[in-house]
Parts: sequence; C-alpha cells; structure tokens
Amino acid sequence: MKTNFKKIATDGILTNNPTLKLVLGTCPTLALTTMAMNGVYMGLAVTFVLICSNVIISLLRKVIPNQVRIPAFVLIIATFVTILRIVMDKLLPDLYESLGLYLPLIVVNCIILARAESFASKNGIIASAADGLFMGIGFALALTTMGAFREILGAGKIFGVELWAFRIEFFSSSAGAFFTYGLFIAMFAFISSLISKKKALKAAKAAKATVATEEVKEDK
Amino acid sequence: MADKLLKFSSSPHVKAVRTTKQIMRHVCIALLPACIAGVVFFGLNAALLIALSLTSAILSEVVYHLICGKKLKEIYAGFDYTSAVTGLLIALSVGVQTPWYAIILANIFAIVVVKMIFGGTGKNLVNPAVTGRIFAFMSFLSLMSNGWVNPNFASLSGASSINAETNATLLTDLLKGNAPALSNLDLLLGTGLAGCIGETCKVALILGGIYLAVLGIINIGYPAIYIAVTGLFTVCLNGFDFNCFLPAILSGGLMLGAIFMATDYTTSPNTTLGNIVYFALLGLLTAGLRQATGIEVVSFVILLMNLFVPLIDKFVRPKPFGFQKQKGGKK
Repeated sequence: MKTNFKKIATDGILTNNPTLKLVLGTCPTLALTTMAMNGVYMGLAVTFVLICSNVIISLLRKVIPNQVRIPAFVLIIATFVTILRIVMDKLLPDLYESLGLYLPLIVVNCIILARAESFASKNGIIASAADGLFMGIGFALALTTMGAFREILGAGKIFGVELWAFRIEFFSSSAGAFFTYGLFIAMFAFISSLISKKKALKAAKAAKATVATEEVKEDK
Repeated sequence: MADKLLKFSSSPHVKAVRTTKQIMRHVCIALLPACIAGVVFFGLNAALLIALSLTSAILSEVVYHLICGKKLKEIYAGFDYTSAVTGLLIALSVGVQTPWYAIILANIFAIVVVKMIFGGTGKNLVNPAVTGRIFAFMSFLSLMSNGWVNPNFASLSGASSINAETNATLLTDLLKGNAPALSNLDLLLGTGLAGCIGETCKVALILGGIYLAVLGIINIGYPAIYIAVTGLFTVCLNGFDFNCFLPAILSGGLMLGAIFMATDYTTSPNTTLGNIVYFALLGLLTAGLRQATGIEVVSFVILLMNLFVPLIDKFVRPKPFGFQKQKGGKK
C-alpha cells in the first residue's frame, strides 16, 4: 500500500488540525499560550511523544488485544512522556520548570490518544510516524500563533522581545485565553471555508474547460 | 424561506407602533440627566469621555457594516440607537481618570465582539455595555481603579470620599468595614463623592428610571427588587445592622446597573416570574460577592446572570394563550 504523505500532511496541519479543527488538547492550549515560546516548546514535546508512540503502537497494533487497547496505549504514551521528562529535567531545567504540570499531563493529552486510536492502530509504521510528525506540527503551529497573538496584545512582547509598553491585560488573563481560542477557531473555519469555496470554483471551471476542449476536438 | 415560516411564539401577536429605534432613543434621553450630572461634577473631561465613547460605539457599528458590504444609506436607515446606548453606558460606568484608548477599545469590544458577531441588535448573549466595561477594567486595571478624582462640589458634611492612604473610593472603604465618611444625602446627590462619571449622582439616575417607567419601557418593579434585595441581604450579612441598608444601595454602580443595564430587553428573561427570579438573584449575588471580595461587583454579577437568562427562560415558560381552557381552546 502506498502512503499518501501529502494527504497526511494537509490533514495534520489544515483539514484535521488537532487544536483548531478537532479541538483536542485544550488544557495546555488555554494555559500555555500566554507566550509564543511556550507554544514552540510544548509543540516540540508533544510532537516527540506523538511520533514515538505512533510508531510503537503501529508496530504492536496486531499484538494488542482490542479489549485492553486503551490501557496499553496509555502505558506506551506514559513511557515516552517519562523519558521526555527525565531528559528535560537533566538538560533543560528552566524549560522543565516553566512547562511545569503540563509536561506530565501530555500522558492524558487527547491528541495523542486520538491519533493512536484512529490512525496508528490501523496504519503502517511510516505512515504513522508521518501522521505523528504533521499532527505535532499542526499543534505546535496553532499554539505558537495563539501564543504570539496573546503575547503581543497582553504583554507587548513577541518571543520574549519587548515591542512596546502598551498592554491589554485582558489577553494575558484566562478569560482572554478562552476568547483567543474561540477567535482562532472562528478565523480558521472562515479561512478554510474560503479555500474550499475557491477549490470548488476552480474544479467547476476546470470541468467546464475540459468539456469545451472536448467539444472543440469533436468539431474537428 | 424557512426563516420566514418560523414563528417564535403562539398567536395572538400584539402589534405595537413602537419600534426598537424609538425605545432606544427614549433610553438615550433617560440617560441624559446622568450625563449632565457627570459633566457638572467632573468637568470638561467627563464631557470629552462621553463624546468619545458615543462616537467610537457608533463608528464601530458603522465600520463593521461597511466591512460586511452594506451601503451607507442602508446603514443609516437601519440605525437603531442601541450602539449609542452602549456607548453612553460605557462612558457613564467608568471613572473620569480612564485613558482614552481604554474607552475606545471597550466600545470596539462591546459592539463588534459582543453584539455584531452574534448577529446584531437583539441577538447578543450578554449586555454589550457591561462586557465592554469589564474588558476595559481587566485590561487597564491599574489605570482605571487608581487616581479617582473628587467632584467639583464639596460634600455637605465636609468629608472627602477618597481615602488618602489607600486611594480607594468610598465603596471599597465601606466594604473593608470602615464607617462611611459621607452622609446618605451626600451619597444620593453625589456631592463630594468620587466615582464613575454617571454613577455618583443617584438622583439623576432615578429621574431617568422614572422617565422610562412612565413611558412603560421598563417595569420599575424589577430594578426595585434588585436594589431592595441587595440592601436587605447586605443588612443580613452584617448582623442585621440596618444602618448598612442605605449606604449599600446608594453606593457604587448599583443604581446604574439596576435601572439601565440589567433591564436590557435582550438579556433579561421573558416572563414576569423569570424576571423576579433574575433580579432577586442579581441582588443576592451583588450583596454576597461585594462582601466576599471587597470590590464593586455589579457589572460582573450582571454579566454572570446574563448567561443564566436562557436557563431561567427554559424553566420558567410562558403559558400558551388559552392554556387553562381544557376544551375548545383557541389555536
């Protein structure tokens, strides 16, 4: 079976974006988007766990009995989260501190479990790894843009660099987190509907063009 | 087509000449005494803030319509005074020390996010003015809650309402358990009382309320329930000390909130019983949370209860016409 990487990539980043389209993993999204850098770190951490767990679950998909698949998945995910935590604690202690509770919480992050359940347990190793990578990128991109939006408006900074002294503190508060999340979901839905409309128009035009050329050919 | 066939309530429908536009114009007129009092008490700055708030509210609605592809003529024809009311209420519920950009941002948030995105007049879930004010307060807390200005008139009892040590207003001082520095008459007239532009002079607000009640736009009973419950519950919480009653109802934004904000048609229940429940709960929450947090909570409580309105409407249903007649009920 040939793996359709293009479809997996667009699925992960656009059509099935875990944060903005599937609304999974809301807890770290709401709590960590006060800064753009947090989004990058959290996105990288989730991507790492997602790729590894997807590969292992894909390898074991024929061994794991269907009845106990969820505990088995969680066990595999927890293993990688533990590895990540130990490594980060040793190598990047500051980052480990700033992500705090949300690092161990990756174990119960819905994105990873959902991908394990709906993709990795049904597809081959390479496809699962690619799915993990692009889902992770989609998550990281969403978190980073939301973090940048909130950081610019709420703290007057971008990636920790001071821009101006003007601050709208609403966007740093938790109410602002919910507001920003809703706003981004709405904008994402709006943009994707625009794109699909354009695509439909293009397809209609292309169909017309082929019909026209065929007619010309017939005339000849 | 499907929209036109949809009926929202059972017949008969009462048809009135009164339109949203006229009602909102009356509300604007009712807010005039409070505006005038604000300008008299706090000077030219207050007038500038009110004008700024009014223009930014109306402009944000017009610009939103323009972005949506409406023509100026259509916008002019469809203009009801709701955005003007929102702008006025936001200006009246902030202090005169508020920075100009806070006012503009509050109005944009109130009109665009709270009202227009949800579908315009009558479709908003929560009161735009209240939400805009809360947005401004959360965003610019230190700028808006410090540096209260004393009004132009000294109080009748000669005391100042600003606590020099903590720079807090009378209400925050009161809530911390200090004796009120001003007499109840001062509170009623707003003399010597620092506070928000439209909230200091209670007489002006009550005048506006009476105007609306006489025209039948609001039921004066509902705000009365709110204010009375707030006062009585404060008395209960303070060990049945009836001296608390008048300061509790005459201070803070209670009058403005009760008369003009909580009575908003869109965000209050549809039935009489529902309204009684709504306003009584508003009163209980205001008194309780004021006591618990030590800050003025009227706008937060109104926002909170606005979100409960659909729930109240779900449980308190109007009786269909002819409900009691078992046989031959009209359809």
